Amino acid sequence: MTGPGVPASDSFPTSLPADGSALKRGGRSWFTLSTSREERFFLLLAVFIGLFSGLAVVCFRLAIDWTRISMLGPAPEPHSWRLIATPTIVGLIVAVLVVHVFPLVRGSGVNQTKAALYIYNGYIPFRTAIGKFITAAMAIGSGQSLGPEDPSLQIGASLASALGRRLELSRERLRLLAPVGAAAGLAAAFNAPISAVLFVIEEVIGRWSAGILGSVVLSAVSSVVVVRWFLGSEPLFRIPAVGLVRPTELLAYAVLGVVGGLAAVIFAKAIGYFRPRLRAWPRWTQYLQPAAAGLIIGIIGFLGAPQIMGAGYEYMDQAMHDQFTWKMLAILALLKIVATTLSFVSGAPGGMFAPTLFVGAMLGGAVGGVERALYPGLTGSTATYALVGMGVLFAAFLRVPMTSVFMVLEVSGNYSIIVPVILANTLAYLISRGLEPVPIFDLLTRQDGLDLPSLEEQREQTVLRVEDAMKPAPTPVLEAQYSVDQALRRVQDLTGTFLVRMSPSGWGSVTPDTLKRLVGEGKGELSLGSALPIRNLPYLHPDLTLEAALRHVYHVPLVPVVHRADFRRLEGVISREDVLEKYKEQEDD
Amino acid sequence: MNVASLKLLTRRPPVIVAGLVVVTVLAFLGVNRLVNRFREQEKALARHLYEHGMQAQSAGQPERAVESFRAALGYAHDNFDYQLSLARALRDTGRTAESETYLIGLWERSPQEGAVNLALGRLFAREQLFDKAIQYYHNAIYGLWPGDPETKRRDTEFELIGFLLQHKAYPQAQAELITMAAALPDDPGLRLRVAQLFAQSQDYEHALAQFQQVLRSDHESKAALYGAGQAAFQLGRYRTAQGYLRNAVRGDPQNAQAAQSLKIASLVLQADPFAPRISDAERNKRVRAAFQAAGDRLDNCAKSKQIDLTPRSPSGGLPALKAQWLEMAPKLARLRPPRDGADLDETMDLVFEIEQQTQAACGTPDDLDQALLLLLLTQDRSGVER
Repeated sequence: MTGPGVPASDSFPTSLPADGSALKRGGRSWFTLSTSREERFFLLLAVFIGLFSGLAVVCFRLAIDWTRISMLGPAPEPHSWRLIATPTIVGLIVAVLVVHVFPLVRGSGVNQTKAALYIYNGYIPFRTAIGKFITAAMAIGSGQSLGPEDPSLQIGASLASALGRRLELSRERLRLLAPVGAAAGLAAAFNAPISAVLFVIEEVIGRWSAGILGSVVLSAVSSVVVVRWFLGSEPLFRIPAVGLVRPTELLAYAVLGVVGGLAAVIFAKAIGYFRPRLRAWPRWTQYLQPAAAGLIIGIIGFLGAPQIMGAGYEYMDQAMHDQFTWKMLAILALLKIVATTLSFVSGAPGGMFAPTLFVGAMLGGAVGGVERALYPGLTGSTATYALVGMGVLFAAFLRVPMTSVFMVLEVSGNYSIIVPVILANTLAYLISRGLEPVPIFDLLTRQDGLDLPSLEEQREQTVLRVEDAMKPAPTPVLEAQYSVDQALRRVQDLTGTFLVRMSPSGWGSVTPDTLKRLVGEGKGELSLGSALPIRNLPYLHPDLTLEAALRHVYHVPLVPVVHRADFRRLEGVISREDVLEKYKEQEDD
Repeated sequence: MNVASLKLLTRRPPVIVAGLVVVTVLAFLGVNRLVNRFREQEKALARHLYEHGMQAQSAGQPERAVESFRAALGYAHDNFDYQLSLARALRDTGRTAESETYLIGLWERSPQEGAVNLALGRLFAREQLFDKAIQYYHNAIYGLWPGDPETKRRDTEFELIGFLLQHKAYPQAQAELITMAAALPDDPGLRLRVAQLFAQSQDYEHALAQFQQVLRSDHESKAALYGAGQAAFQLGRYRTAQGYLRNAVRGDPQNAQAAQSLKIASLVLQADPFAPRISDAERNKRVRAAFQAAGDRLDNCAKSKQIDLTPRSPSGGLPALKAQWLEMAPKLARLRPPRDGADLDETMDLVFEIEQQTQAACGTPDDLDQALLLLLLTQDRSGVER
């Protein structure tokens, strides 16, 4: 599960605060509202979390911009010594801060938020938010090849957690607050509420849950409102509408999907390979790793590719507007993979969303350029290929296929591109999943010695259903209008439990011994319906999961499985033994 | 109220919500102040980069201008002027696709904006997209212009007309000019420009009218005199042309073209044997002169093209014409007034035929030959202006 020589995780808190002050450990807090009022209050709280996260992200973005302008200059150009000196020196400072002051801020922040949800009951220290803010702003602003989105997600989650603790919410509520804050932070960073909600569901929560969906949506929307209020509502990229002249042009996008899928695998494998090895190096090297990464990235920038430094959104926009040749785009994609791998594995705080989009945009533009050179009849512009490329890398590298589609739509504000995006993303996702079974975020958590659930793994799991375990009903099936004598005659030589089809609906059960007892009591002439106690059996349908069946089979020895459209039609029966046997069978497989 | 009850009060949901609202408002104010200060800094930075870009553009360095405008836009994403300048600089560097993207984006924001429509018009004109260029030029003409809109609209109209003339779309150019001329202010300079454009669009009638209007307010205008002379010349009104061109040459003796046109116009008037109110002797003299000029032209042409004009020559047209000329020459020598109108027509028909064919075979004719050809043209109209 873990990579070679992986030390105990320092990306996650190893335990909760010893005094218990951080969490209300009991099931209930001082908050003694009725359930419905508490739910309403929780929704209101989600709005405030969204507002606070939005404000924090606005400040975070300003901090990154301010750092960049101050350190790299307003318009960085190659052959400036600043490009080498800044990321190296700031890398040293960031390393000291990460090692000594904010040890929990390493990496992207997505896994830390997920760990808070599943392991630490939603607890993320407020210090993490402050540390992430400072160190990520310094790292990204100085030119480390990382993005602000994942840190924003963690800052949002951290703020939400701090607010929940301040209000002494119950453990259950507190646990739910982390993804609410995460969605708010990510939505604010991307200016894209739908993608943020989907990402948090796909990657952080790992399941669709009606209980939390409302809060997540509310927080995401309110944070986006704040960001748009302060920073404007323009989409990140401006591209012309895409019109597919011929459906065969989709093949060109399919090729991009294949290339993007392979690039994502290389990117993920590089991070997966180098990260544990660098972290296994002696502790003192941790002071130098971000500086070394910064030095190499600075040299790349100095030699002619300053575009790979920082998040690089402005260069993505330029790529979309035919600023670079396809060869330059391909080189930038390759260099960005190298630079991001270096920055990320060095432990510099920052996210992978923006670099993923950068690589995708450059790769998309390059593939589109080659295709259009070979087939001049293709109508797609560089912008459309770059945009599809972004979605492709997002789907294949981060392994969030649904989010990737909506992300492209939201960052471009352009719906006309959806068909190529879906096709290319799906292909890239399938290729990436085929060649690298473990998604990047799961890989990172496992390298940190944790095992957190993922929606992708859940999707992969075979769901056992009632129809897989049910058996044919024991014959005969008795009718409610049979007399007790009549019923006894039918089953007197048999053993076990027999089902009774009640009238007008419902099911009961009876054993030969019970029938004999009723005859002995002189009730042989009575119908089964009137002689048996008025208590209908629960019933199941064939498509229900075995988990649903488990709720009933412990109390009832034989549960009827009936047709959904005709409850009197018996499809089979299921017992506790059947369910356990099926689970054992699956375990053996 | 003791501490315990106060603590209990602060735990009531309405109090919590009120507290959160207060904190939110305070945070909003703080962030707002921060954002405003940062935005001011960014604006100053953007302005500096923009000015840098403008200087580069003025210095004929569009690539550097693009870099500066792009950097400026990094700090002021929505700035209309910066985007427009970037789009123009991109167009100047030949990156028309990118320029179009920016301009279309601006146009979607402000479809009425004259400057954006003009930039789009220029872009499509550069891309030779005729209809789209005209559409956006028209949008610009009727669009919104901050500060002196009349002048900007008129400049755009002039630019559109120039584009139409460049593409030899004369009827469309004439239509634009007629509309423009109807709304021109009392400015001889503007009217002169319109008149010249009418002339370029081959609408000499309107051109002459406009030049004459200019001359009404400025009798000495050399350009108007020359333009009016040329327009009248093109209309075949050689007498009028002669008058204007004479004045034009008098005002500007260096104007060789005016002098040449004057010479031709005078030759046409002098060579015209169909002119009324001339004596028969004069008419005969003109016919003979024309006949002799045609004969000389025929010989020179044949000589330059090494064509054998002897009757046995198989060389088609010119020898046949020479034969006709030789046949007619003795008759013409014996000509006495009053001569028959039919003879005049026959002679002049041969002259015109010779001039036409020699022009086709040997190119530009001499002045007198040119005058004879112009005379031929006037026969299709109502004759030379009396």
